[in-house]
Amino acid sequence: MAEDIADILIIGAGASSAAAAWSLADTRMRIICLEQGDWMNPSEYPSNSKQWEVLRQVDYNQSPNIRKRETDYPINEEDSAVSIANFNGVGGGTILYSAHFPRLKPSDFRVKSMDGVADDWPIDYKTLDPYFAQNDRNMGVSGLAGDPAIPWHEPPLPPIPIGRMGEAMGRGLNKLGWHWWPSDAAIISEDYEGRGKCLNLGPCNSGCAQGAKSSVDVAYWPVNQRLGVELRTRCRVSQILVDDNDMATGVLYFDENGVEHLQRAEIVIMACNGVGTPRLLLNSPSAGFPDGLANRSGLVGKNLMFHPIGFVEGYLDQPLDSHLGPQGTCILSQEFYETDPARDFVRGYSLQIVRGQPPASIAVSGTQRGDIPWGARHHEAYQKYVGRSVMMAVMCEDLPELCNTVTLDPELTDSNGIPAPKITYRFSENSKRMLQHGLQKGTEAMEAAGAFKVYTMNQVRDTGWHLMGTARMGTDPENSVVNEWGRSHDVKNLFIIDGSIFVTCGAVNPTTTIQALALYVADSIKKNLANLFD
Amino acid sequence: MADLIASDALLTEEQNQTLRLLLNMIIPPDAERGMPGAAELDFMGYVFEFANDRIEHIKRELDSLNKSSRRQYTVTFPQLDDNDREALVKRLYSTRRQFARNIEVQIMFCYYQDDKVLKALGKEARPPFPKGNEVLRGDLSLLDPVRQRPKLYRE
Ligand SMILES: Cc1cc2nc3c(=O)[nH]c(=O)nc-3n(C[C@H](O)[C@H](O)[C@H](O)COP(=O)(O)OP(=O)(O)OC[C@H]3O[C@@H](n4cnc5c(N)ncnc54)[C@H](O)[C@@H]3O)c2cc1C
Repeated sequence: MAEDIADILIIGAGASSAAAAWSLADTRMRIICLEQGDWMNPSEYPSNSKQWEVLRQVDYNQSPNIRKRETDYPINEEDSAVSIANFNGVGGGTILYSAHFPRLKPSDFRVKSMDGVADDWPIDYKTLDPYFAQNDRNMGVSGLAGDPAIPWHEPPLPPIPIGRMGEAMGRGLNKLGWHWWPSDAAIISEDYEGRGKCLNLGPCNSGCAQGAKSSVDVAYWPVNQRLGVELRTRCRVSQILVDDNDMATGVLYFDENGVEHLQRAEIVIMACNGVGTPRLLLNSPSAGFPDGLANRSGLVGKNLMFHPIGFVEGYLDQPLDSHLGPQGTCILSQEFYETDPARDFVRGYSLQIVRGQPPASIAVSGTQRGDIPWGARHHEAYQKYVGRSVMMAVMCEDLPELCNTVTLDPELTDSNGIPAPKITYRFSENSKRMLQHGLQKGTEAMEAAGAFKVYTMNQVRDTGWHLMGTARMGTDPENSVVNEWGRSHDVKNLFIIDGSIFVTCGAVNPTTTIQALALYVADSIKKNLANLFD
Repeated sequence: MADLIASDALLTEEQNQTLRLLLNMIIPPDAERGMPGAAELDFMGYVFEFANDRIEHIKRELDSLNKSSRRQYTVTFPQLDDNDREALVKRLYSTRRQFARNIEVQIMFCYYQDDKVLKALGKEARPPFPKGNEVLRGDLSLLDPVRQRPKLYRE
């Protein structure tokens, strides 16, 4: 029997994988995607239940160490100031993401030339612009054109409702003369491509029962499968194999029953995210690559970036029903995004104004803070807080540093015995100063909007949503892992398309940029097919 | 909701009585607002179904409350009169950061997701899906001053 060789093998079925598979499908090559997790069943999501506020706490927790599904792998975070959030299944992190979809800006690709720190990207905003637009159409993105803080672009769908809360915050920000704009969201505000529009369920972060949130299991994979891409679930890749010519030959993976298989491939594309990808490369050493595959630069697993996050929570003196509407998106202020030499930090941050805490959570935090007392005054105090909370994330740009890493844990393993990733991360002095500034400005914004109470939370730990930088792109093989179109410098038929290849990370959620990059890398593969491995 | 027989049997009689008294001290009934007291809800049924891993913590918190009661008043918490009970809870609440923390957190989740309570608050007792919620689109003319600004990004 002829050997089963895929033309293209993609590892992981999350945000980047889905976009790349869609683009590559028109080559009519045989594309196989191996994903360690399962398909999701939206009828099991917590928002199908009255007890959704509590049901989301374990099975849909953002931490694999709490969730502990069979399909998860553990992560050692003891040496990290931030803990990792992810989801392992068809859709990857987009199953739980908020779908807040702002793009990186032109200056984010030229940090070194503009501000003298970190490195420039080998590509620029203009290169990605058409891929951003294509991805917006494929995903189904809602937003409003004309934002002066980002080059002109027109999201295919009108913005999601900002609600009374968005209006109140907008008025406050206007008083201060600051920028704000309704957020671009990968949530469909109108029926789109056979999917029903957003119903404002609220808890996007535990899966969207309506399918209006553009997680890639609903936005991309059904189309990809119709185009002929083969998606195999419950296939956990343990190693990528190479031959003596430094060419990848395929992968070893475990199926659901723990049986090991070999899948050969002409091209291997990694899409396991900024933690999963370096983990797998480091776990694939060979004679030619004793320090991990594609790691002659020594940079695999280095330069890990999150976005350092703080929160400002304000309570406004008016009923806002602020807990209704897509939880993680409302409006965005980018008044402090670009570098200002007058400040004591370089680069900047976004103020992401999301919805308020839901009703039971308000009671929990209110009693713990002493705002909602026990006893006779409980009911009156609860009314003062419920529906009036506004959450704001201060999302800072992180700068790449060699000391922030993903390595292999010497002891901890997943259920197949594959070494778990170990995270080593600390906040830089620049990040600390930036966060401080952001919390102060966030407080000013809340007060301008009329908040009677404001809380700030600094350097929040459970915010490792954005995983970037651990296999960065560049033109110099000594100083980067992949080239300017995602191909490994060392292994010419190995590509990386997830957040690992970010050179710097801007101060916005990364997924729209991750997917634009994946489409761009896929397009580059198609354009270079004739001499792909030169 | 879990069946009552299973959930009632989770606690001893003393723990059960202590719990009921404490719950109504945390969230007492309010006839004027039509709000039930927390003790009227099947709290342990809720915990059994949704927060199973908290049961042991809750038992320990109840036992600890009875221990404090015995130490200070020589009788159990349910045996105290209302004033002493009030005074004891007040003292523990203000001196022990973690006092009854699991009970407090779980009763908030239980209470504010309960049908009776939601109805009393004028809310529909239903899951978010499939009906969803109405949210005001918002007045986008509020953006006029922002639209008038020059471009804010660097090329
Ligand atoms: C709670 C939460 C909220 C978020 N909110 C936002 C937001 O509002 N906006 C935004 O832009 N981003 C957000 N993110 C981040 C977003 O989810 C990620 O940026 C995005 O999913 C990354 O895409 P990716 O392709 O790099 O990897 P992922 O989407 O993480 O996909 C990686 C896939 O690879 C699979 N995999 C890994 N290792 C293996 C292996 N060895 N074998 C087989 N399969 C493997 C995993 O199971 C997973 O499915 C959020 C994330 C979380 C968890």
